[in-house]
Amino acid sequence: MMTCKLQLGAFASSSNHYRQQGAPNKVSSCLMVATDDHQDTFYKTNLPTKLAKTYVPTMKPLLEKELQERNNNTDAPIINSGKFGRFGGKFVPETLVVCLSQLEAEFNKALHDESFKAELAESLKDFAGRETPLYYARRLSEYYKMNNNGKGPDIYLKREDLNHGGSHKMNNALAQAMIAKRMGRKSVVTATAAGQHGIATAAACAKLGLECTVFMAAKEMEKESSNVQLMKLLGAKVEGVNGSFKDAASEAFRCWVGEMENSYHLTGSAVGPHPCPTMVREFQSVIGRETRKQALEKWGGKPDVLVACVGTGSNALGLFHEFLQDKDVRLIGVEAGGCGLESGRHSSTLATGEVGVYHGALSYLLQDQDGQIIGPHSIAPGMEYPGVSPELSYLKETGRAEFCVATDQEALDAYERLCKLEGIFPSLEAAHALAILDNLVPTLCDGSKVVVNCSGCGDKDAAVVFDRKLFHGKF
Amino acid sequence: MASSITSSSSRLFPITRESQPTSHSTLNFSKFASFSSSSSASGSKTSSYISCSLTRDPSVLPLEEQSKLSNGSVLFQRPDSLGRFGKFGGKYVPETLINALTELEAAFHSLSADEDFQKELAGILRDYVGRESPLYFAERLTEHYKRANGEGPQIYLKREDLNHTGAHKINNAVAQALLAKCLGKKRIIAETGAGQHGVATATVCARFGLECIVYMGAQDMERQALNVFRMRLLGAEVRPVHSGTATLKDATSEAIRDWVTNVETTHYILGSVAGPHPYPMMVREFHAVIGKETRKQALEKWGGKPDVLIACVGGGSNAMGLFHEFVDDKDVRLIGVEAAGFGLDSGKHAATLTKGEVGVLHGAMSYLLQDDDGQIIEPHSISAGLDYPGVGPEHSFLKDIGRAEYYSITDEEALEAFKRVSRLEGIIPALETSHALAYLEKVCPTLPNGAKVVVNFSGRGDKDVHTAIKYLKV
Repeated sequence: MMTCKLQLGAFASSSNHYRQQGAPNKVSSCLMVATDDHQDTFYKTNLPTKLAKTYVPTMKPLLEKELQERNNNTDAPIINSGKFGRFGGKFVPETLVVCLSQLEAEFNKALHDESFKAELAESLKDFAGRETPLYYARRLSEYYKMNNNGKGPDIYLKREDLNHGGSHKMNNALAQAMIAKRMGRKSVVTATAAGQHGIATAAACAKLGLECTVFMAAKEMEKESSNVQLMKLLGAKVEGVNGSFKDAASEAFRCWVGEMENSYHLTGSAVGPHPCPTMVREFQSVIGRETRKQALEKWGGKPDVLVACVGTGSNALGLFHEFLQDKDVRLIGVEAGGCGLESGRHSSTLATGEVGVYHGALSYLLQDQDGQIIGPHSIAPGMEYPGVSPELSYLKETGRAEFCVATDQEALDAYERLCKLEGIFPSLEAAHALAILDNLVPTLCDGSKVVVNCSGCGDKDAAVVFDRKLFHGKF
Repeated sequence: MASSITSSSSRLFPITRESQPTSHSTLNFSKFASFSSSSSASGSKTSSYISCSLTRDPSVLPLEEQSKLSNGSVLFQRPDSLGRFGKFGGKYVPETLINALTELEAAFHSLSADEDFQKELAGILRDYVGRESPLYFAERLTEHYKRANGEGPQIYLKREDLNHTGAHKINNAVAQALLAKCLGKKRIIAETGAGQHGVATATVCARFGLECIVYMGAQDMERQALNVFRMRLLGAEVRPVHSGTATLKDATSEAIRDWVTNVETTHYILGSVAGPHPYPMMVREFHAVIGKETRKQALEKWGGKPDVLIACVGGGSNAMGLFHEFVDDKDVRLIGVEAAGFGLDSGKHAATLTKGEVGVLHGAMSYLLQDDDGQIIEPHSISAGLDYPGVGPEHSFLKDIGRAEYYSITDEEALEAFKRVSRLEGIIPALETSHALAYLEKVCPTLPNGAKVVVNFSGRGDKDVHTAIKYLKV
């Protein structure tokens, strides 16, 4: 049905499904791609002739607008723009537009509500265990300095692995679950890839007394049976979906659409239609704010380089956002190179993808000539996503952030290196960020400060690394 | 779970004025492999082996005769200079280890007063381990325990599960590794049953760049292949032990053998408040940060002290860590919860303080589970960390003087609590911790409205998911 390069993705099918249920037929006004004339040149193939504009355009890129607002007032800016340059937007069926607007309004209100902010801060402190330390990885730094006459950068790890739930995902899950409760919703629905976000959501919902349903790809459920069990123990219902994460994500949306009065769709990643990318980024930005404060305490300055892995981009944005305005801070995102870019089996969206619409937003994505999604691959399940956050796409296009790639093998080596040198198991996702230090460090001057986001704990990956080593006979 | 010195070494009473020597030579290593009964039948049941030089020590006189400070509070000397808590504790070890223990004690005392050491330790606890751990108000759990008239205690959880490696164990491991480094030791040994203590030890050794050898029974290694792999990934050498039943106690013997042989270069990281002096005191001091933070956080949160402290007791380290700060506060109730396994009458449990008798085990005099012939009764608990036939000597002391109360919880009750707390608070407790949480069922109905209860959430339960699922059929 869909052959244009612009990926129609989940929303096409969700609206079909919705139609089948006898809902009013709004197909003509939904599905895709609104165009601006100057953008036609980027999209090469057939477009339906009659399109509705369903995104909210802004005059300026988000960055400048926010900067202006920040300069104008010291209160939290009203988040009402859904675009990051040309990326982002709200490519969704008409019925969802209302929901999303309501969500956005609620989110804005919460951002200005002192009691919500205080309650969130307290929960992040007592339940999630923030602030997470900024840890000087002395032995890792010395390992690199050894090859260079004792000179080299100082490497710090932002310990998101110490969060409750074992990853940065909790920052967002907790905040959104609180918003769901504020909105009077009784249940939460979400989708998870390997289970980390599912666990964080299940835990937050248990704490707040909300029902929780998690959709997961059936084959992931088998692979990550421990995570499934953890979610069930936390009281969540785990539903298997045939296909991969994107199908689980679609199913979650479908489920939400059917029950919009009582349920809340908790998005785990900085992707999706506005306001989701912005919401997730705002809630994750506590990472960057703490880092600024801790850097000041530790060495009286700012970091010189920030490194984070990029699957969808939530942990990277969480670290980077605080420093976007600080031009002297270098931002580096590391994507999953899988078996290598030439092999075609990877998840390096920003490195090799093209612009299209996926899951409600315009961003880079891995698509073939017919506009079909290319199944991503990475040894790290949290990086296996064919799209990426629209905000990161914007940062790439403006050159504010650099993006590179680490292969499965490089990530595995980095995993083992951190275990042996610091006694910390990084998640395989975070190991990608650590992997590029090999190439980055020789280019940095002595004493520069590098902060790597250790976005998750790698206990969950020990079995994968174990199997890999056995299989390759290294063990 | 306490990593432990072999019990049979404890049967070899040192040839000092402390007690009469038995038929064993202190250098008879072959005896290490067995839990020998030796003179335990008479030794453990009478006080004749305890030298009267101890009772002359004023600090172990009955409570009423303790010297009172000017402000009226009683000063406890815990332990005294010989490492005794009342009649418990001590140093029942071969002569070759006495020097090492004395050196360790001297080092510990000098480093305790050393500001640089304390500052470095505090920095590591903050940046590496992730302290302070929060004191979390468990709202839904509190609701759950409210009585029909809306009254009930308030339940707080001390979140040791948020520490690096997911349990309180790292507080002690990190401090002992730093101590070993200060002592110039390059080699660390430990033994482990299920692997938790081994992983914690391997973790800190990686962090400090120390050589790490973990002894593990060959049978245990098969059952815990993933933990073995984790230790190896961390750079530790895991040595299989094939002797005996190839489980924890045999691994312990091997570790002791190694320590005796390499005592100049090697430090033995003991994981619990058991073992010969100075270990019970040292491990307690390193965990005492738990109680100190709790006092401060309680003051911040409700401007007072906790009314009740509850913690699970295997070897007793997490409990001592929480209790120690409050032992002199008589208005704070201390409750330790042991594992009743299949039930106290089933014979398959690990409720040492409830069902045990006094004897010497692993270098210290304490309560232990022994039969009429003084043989160790194999304990049982669904949780590996509580599956220990002995208990720290300080707990034995606190029980005897009535300062702390000890109860027990069955496997089934622990599993119920495991499920309950996961569902109500979104935090999965370790099975060990679940025992403490299960006791809330029994104690909450008896507590007055608004009483502040702090439960030591000593570890997270990710590691126990498979076990729990088998029994709970979620």
